Amino acid sequence: MTLRQAQGPARTLSTEYLQRFHDMVDDYPNKRSMLMMTLRLIEEEFGCIDDAGMEIAADLCGVSTAHVQGMVTFYTHFKRPAHGKHRFMVCATLMCALDGNTSQALKQIESKLGITPGQSTADGLFSCEKVECLADCDKPPVVQKDFEHFCSMKGKTLDDYIDSLLKRENKSVADYQGKAGIEMDLRVSVLPSHYNFAGETEVGARHFENKDPYFQPGEAPRTTTVPPPLKTPLTAPVVDGMNLNGADHV
Amino acid sequence: MSESPLNSPNGAMVPFTPVILKHIHEAGSHTLDHYVARGGYETARTNVGKTEPGSLVKLVEESGLRGRGGAGFPTGKKWSFLAKGTGKPAYLTVNGDESEPGTFKDRHIVEKDPHQLLEGVILTCWAIQSHHAFIYLRGEFILGYERLEAAVREAKARGFIGKKIFDTDFDLKVVVMRGAGAYICGEETGMLSSIEGGRGYPKIKPPFPAVSGVFQCPTIVNNVETIACVSHIVKNGAAWHKQWGTEKSPGFKIFCLSGAVKKPGVYEVPLGITMKEFIEVYGGGMIEGRTLKAVIPGGLSAPLLTPEMVEKCTLDYESLAGLGSMLGSGGITVLHDQVDLMSAIYNTMRFYHHESCGQCTPCREGTGWLEKLAHKFHEGHAHEGDVDLLGDVARNMRGRTICVLADAAAMPMQSYLQLFRGEFEKRVHEPAYTERKRTARDEITPAAKRDTVTQGGPDVLSVGMGMDRI
Ligand SMILES: Cc1cc2nc3c(=O)[nH]c(=O)nc-3n(C[C@H](O)[C@H](O)[C@H](O)COP(=O)(O)O)c2cc1C
Ligand code: SF4
Repeated sequence: MTLRQAQGPARTLSTEYLQRFHDMVDDYPNKRSMLMMTLRLIEEEFGCIDDAGMEIAADLCGVSTAHVQGMVTFYTHFKRPAHGKHRFMVCATLMCALDGNTSQALKQIESKLGITPGQSTADGLFSCEKVECLADCDKPPVVQKDFEHFCSMKGKTLDDYIDSLLKRENKSVADYQGKAGIEMDLRVSVLPSHYNFAGETEVGARHFENKDPYFQPGEAPRTTTVPPPLKTPLTAPVVDGMNLNGADHV
Repeated sequence: MSESPLNSPNGAMVPFTPVILKHIHEAGSHTLDHYVARGGYETARTNVGKTEPGSLVKLVEESGLRGRGGAGFPTGKKWSFLAKGTGKPAYLTVNGDESEPGTFKDRHIVEKDPHQLLEGVILTCWAIQSHHAFIYLRGEFILGYERLEAAVREAKARGFIGKKIFDTDFDLKVVVMRGAGAYICGEETGMLSSIEGGRGYPKIKPPFPAVSGVFQCPTIVNNVETIACVSHIVKNGAAWHKQWGTEKSPGFKIFCLSGAVKKPGVYEVPLGITMKEFIEVYGGGMIEGRTLKAVIPGGLSAPLLTPEMVEKCTLDYESLAGLGSMLGSGGITVLHDQVDLMSAIYNTMRFYHHESCGQCTPCREGTGWLEKLAHKFHEGHAHEGDVDLLGDVARNMRGRTICVLADAAAMPMQSYLQLFRGEFEKRVHEPAYTERKRTARDEITPAAKRDTVTQGGPDVLSVGMGMDRI
């Protein structure tokens, strides 16, 4: 099974999000520089950035999938499929860690959800990780849950918050007691998912049974992720004789 | 925030009320209406299209404003280095990455007074004749991003940003971008790489950004606080700015106080006040029952100060440089007497190892070595020679890399070694620490009782072996 199959049918950005992408076009001198914000759009629309999301970003910004993979693994704040639906990020840098603030927050999360940093619950609802300074050092410990930011997040405040999340998910602390968490695997797949190695011969030479290597045999052709024509053409400064428009000069 | 009478360079007492943080406690301070009601955008209106750009650069140069992002480079001078006549557009990039641990000042500007920043951006762009500004916020600033985005939209709707601003012929685009959790994107060229849509890899200087920066065009990089100062300086003049501070560090600055004080928080004070006054008066003194052990004066990268040095220290660039440390980003962290410095340095080194971008070998490997060695001291099974090895590794990292993250990691290590060498030596072969059941690796707890030493300690690990990363 390829990753693509595992993730279900191919996806595209919705028209609304594509429009938001096109609304940004004027603000940037070339498409490549829109990549950070495009990844944010994808993260927002799909809830995380998975392989399909990375391909969409690559298509939209005119860069290779490998480049996008490089971005997504370099920047730690992007949400990935391995992260829980509710992703706890606990600041573990010195200012928060002083006087055991970080460990207390981590301990409380562990006692409620049974996960230690780097793990998610088996049902994929919660995950926990240590992150570096979240820039609110006067009120430790600082914790972010996805896109929510909390200061002095320990004791009753943290417990109550976790309880409220559990309630929202129709779960209870008992559901996670004694259950081991699973380690999050944040690596990207080595190969872009559209390579088909089914026809690989023994000596390793590649040929594709399917004429179009883009598709798995039997897989429905993926809906287009190529953006509709731009409202306004991209304008980029021509620098040193090189038009930077969409150039993937990694 | 109350007025406090403070010494100016000529010895006279000049009262100071916060300038940049003045309105952050007011309801609705982030909205355009609030900002305009207190005279906002008037300075931009009266200057854009009217004042000669060069004279604005000169004004800022005269005011003595220095970069608030860490390096303290004179802002006006930086602007005057911007390459002209290249035929390429010039860019302003505002550094709101605020990733230096212990710093949380830009957050308050962006979240609570974003229009103040935007007015600074407009004036700066006019001064350097740039039509395109990027404001790069760290990805974790969620409220900040929303508010700043909203502020840009509001300002656009009023014609303060966009085409023909303030009914002049000057066009200005202001774009808010988000990072995604990389400390190195705070380094100016790292930020530029990120804006260009790549990993945040710093670039070799020269060429400096002012000559060839983002998209290979002339670029000015300034910190959020620096830019926020600009509109006040343009409005009130250079002499006004210089009435506070010292001769070489004029003006005022926001300091972020964290750690073992009664009232941690952000405080805007004139430069040159004493560190002691800052901690005692603004911070309310040490928390009950604890005494001062050390102070980190300018973000995690700044070398430590001992209590004796704190007595002598004033909050300006020169005083801290004279004490072998730096004012940096103004993040002051107070460590109390129970803090286990070995845990603290281990935590610090872990930070730099995690955040090294990995381009340069001395940094990528050096931070890893420092972390592993610090871990040995943290756990109490370091070798005799490890203290010197730490110093060696740190020394060999400095000045040999693309950006100064390697130096930023080596500097605190060197200062811990220099000022607290005894603490390192105490941890050579100290099995008690490994025997202790650690609930969490990074707990910066009081030192364990010495009388529980068990005989036949654990295997002594050597660097690079059997040490799992956290
Ligand atoms: C590793 C590293 C991290 C940095 N992080 C920041 C940061 O988070 N925010 C910032 O404004 N400057 C940061 N700087 C300083 C910038 O490189 C640059 O000097 C500054 O943004 C220039 O603005 P200024 O002249 O207004 O201070 C960092 C520098 C280094 C070497
Ligand atoms: S010094 Fe470190 S962070 Fe800076 S460019 Fe080199 S490897 Fe990257």
